[in-house]
Amino acid sequence: MEFALQIVVNGLMSSLVYILMALGFTLIFGIMRVVNFAHGEMYMIAAFLVYALVGSLGWNYYLVVVLSALALGVFGAILERALFRPFVGRELQGMIMALAVSITLQAVAFILFGPNDLSVPRPITGVFDVGPMVIPRDRVAVGASALVVLLAFYVFMRYTKTGLAMRAVVQDEDIASIYGVRPKIIHPLAFGIGAMLAGFAGALMAPIYTIHPYMGAQPMLKAFIVVILGGLGSVPGAVLGGIILGLLESLFATLVNTTVATMVCFGIVVLILLFKPTGLLAR
Amino acid sequence: MKFVWKYVVILALLAVAPFFVLPPFLTHIGVMIGIYTTLALSMNLMLRIGQISFAHGAFMGLGAYGSALMMMRLDLPFTVAFLAAALGVALLALLVGSLFLRIRGVYFVLLTFAFGEIIVLTFIEWVSLFGGSGGLPGVPPPSLFGYAIGSREGFYLLSLGLAAFAFALVRTIYGTELGAVITSLDEDEALTRSLGIDSRRYRLLTFCVSAFLAGMGGALYGHYLTLVTPEDYGFWVPVNLVMMNVIGGIAQPIGAVLGALLLVPLPELLRDAKQYQMLLYGIVLILFLLFMPDGMHGLFSKLKGHLARRELSR
Repeated sequence: MEFALQIVVNGLMSSLVYILMALGFTLIFGIMRVVNFAHGEMYMIAAFLVYALVGSLGWNYYLVVVLSALALGVFGAILERALFRPFVGRELQGMIMALAVSITLQAVAFILFGPNDLSVPRPITGVFDVGPMVIPRDRVAVGASALVVLLAFYVFMRYTKTGLAMRAVVQDEDIASIYGVRPKIIHPLAFGIGAMLAGFAGALMAPIYTIHPYMGAQPMLKAFIVVILGGLGSVPGAVLGGIILGLLESLFATLVNTTVATMVCFGIVVLILLFKPTGLLAR
Repeated sequence: MKFVWKYVVILALLAVAPFFVLPPFLTHIGVMIGIYTTLALSMNLMLRIGQISFAHGAFMGLGAYGSALMMMRLDLPFTVAFLAAALGVALLALLVGSLFLRIRGVYFVLLTFAFGEIIVLTFIEWVSLFGGSGGLPGVPPPSLFGYAIGSREGFYLLSLGLAAFAFALVRTIYGTELGAVITSLDEDEALTRSLGIDSRRYRLLTFCVSAFLAGMGGALYGHYLTLVTPEDYGFWVPVNLVMMNVIGGIAQPIGAVLGALLLVPLPELLRDAKQYQMLLYGIVLILFLLFMPDGMHGLFSKLKGHLARRELSR
C-alpha cells in the first residue's frame, strides 16, 4: 500500500512538469498546426540561462526562473515571426523547419557551453517524511510552482479576451478572423506562451537534473507522448495525458525498468494514433 | 536510350575511380555516399506520396541487425542474408503499412516515429539477441561468388552498385504509369480514386519498396562498420534523410543523390568539430526551407531555364 502510494506521488510530481511542457506544444499545434520539434530546446535554453545567471553570476534563483521564462516567451514570438510564419497551414514543412531550428539551437548551445554535464546548486535540499513515504523537498517545490503556472495559464485561457480569441483560433481560424481575431497577433503570442511554459519547466528542473545541450530531447519526447494521449491541440487533453504518462511511467519504472516504461508509452501512442488519432478527450 | 548510356559512362568512371585516383579516405566517403544515396532515395519515395516516415531509421536498423544476425547465427551466405533481411523489412512494412497508411500528414510522422522508437528500444532491451546498447560487434564482411569483400574498394563497388540500383529503380518507377499514380496521390487523391484506382494499394506498394531500399542500405551499413549499435538507427536517421531531400530537391530522384553528395562528406570532413557541422546543417536547412523550397535541383533547373530563355531572346 505504501509502495503504491509512493508510486502515485512520484508519478504525479513528474506529471506536473510533463503537463507544463505538453501545454505549450499542444497550444502551438492547435493554433499554428506546427509540430514544434524545437520545443525541447526552449526547455534547454531556460536551463542554460539558469546556469549562466545563477551558477556563474550568482543571481537569485527564483528571480531567474521568472526572467528566463519571460525571455523564452519573447524568443518564441521572434521565432514565429522570423521562421515559422511562412509555414502556417503547411504542416510537414513547418515540422521540418522545427527540426532545423532544433538542430541549430543544440549546436549553438554546444558551441557556447561545451558537451559536458553542468549543474547548478539546488536552492532547496532535504526530504519530507510523510508517513512511510519519502518526498524530496525540491520536487515538491517544482510541483507546486508548476501547479501555479498551470492555474495561471488556465485562468488566462478561460477568463481573458485574448484567451477566448486563442480558443476560437484553435477551433476555426477563418471563422475567428471574421469576428475580428487577428492571426498575425495570435500566432506569435501562442508561440511565445508555448515557449514560455517550456522555459518555466526548464528553469524549474535545471537544479534537479544535469544541464547539457541535448537535455531537451527527453522532455520533448514526454510532451509528445502526453499530447498524443490527450489529443494534438487539446489543452484539457494535455492535462489528462500528463497525469496518465506520469503514473504509467512511475509504475513501469518501479516494477520493471525505464526502457520498458518508455516502450509501453510508445505502444499506447501507436494504438491511439491508429484508432483514435484525435486523442482520449476528443468529442 | 541516350540517357542510359550517359549513366553507364558515369557509373563506369565512378567504379574505377578508387583504383586510380581516390585516396583511401575519399573512398570511405564514397562508400558512405553510396549508402546514404540509397537511403535518401528510399525517403524520396515516401515524400512522393506525401507521407514522411520516421520509421526509416528502424527499418535501416532491422536490415543491419537482420543481415548480420543471419550470417552470424545461421551461417547463411551474405547474398541470402542481405536479401532476406531487406525482404523481411519490406514484409514488415507490408504488415504495418496496411494499418498505418490510413493515417495522414503529421499524424503519420508521429505514428511512424513512435513505432520506430519501439523497435530501437527493442534492440536495446533484448540483449540476448541484439546485444543491448553495446550492439553487435564483429559483423562478418560480405562475400560475393565465394570472394570475401573486406577491402574498402570492395565496399565502394558494392555501395556504388546498390546506389545505382536504387536510383534506376526509383527513376523507373517515376517514369512509368505507377509513378504517375504515386505522384497524383499527394496532389489530388480524391481525383485519382474517382478514376477507379485503389490508392491504398499504391501507397502500400510505395511504402514496401521504400522499406526494402532502407533495409538494404542498413544491411550494407552494418557490414561496412562491422558493428551494429541501436543508436545508429534512431530519430536522426530519417531527419537526415529528409534534410538531404529538401536540400537536394524533392521533385526528382537526382535531388536525393545531390543531397547525399552534399551532406554526407560534411560529418566526415568536420569530424573533430561536430557542433559546427550541426550548426551548418541547421542553418543551411533553414535557408533552403525559407528561400529555396525546390532545393539544389530546383535551383539548377531554374538556372537552366534562365539560360535557355536568354538564348531564345538573342
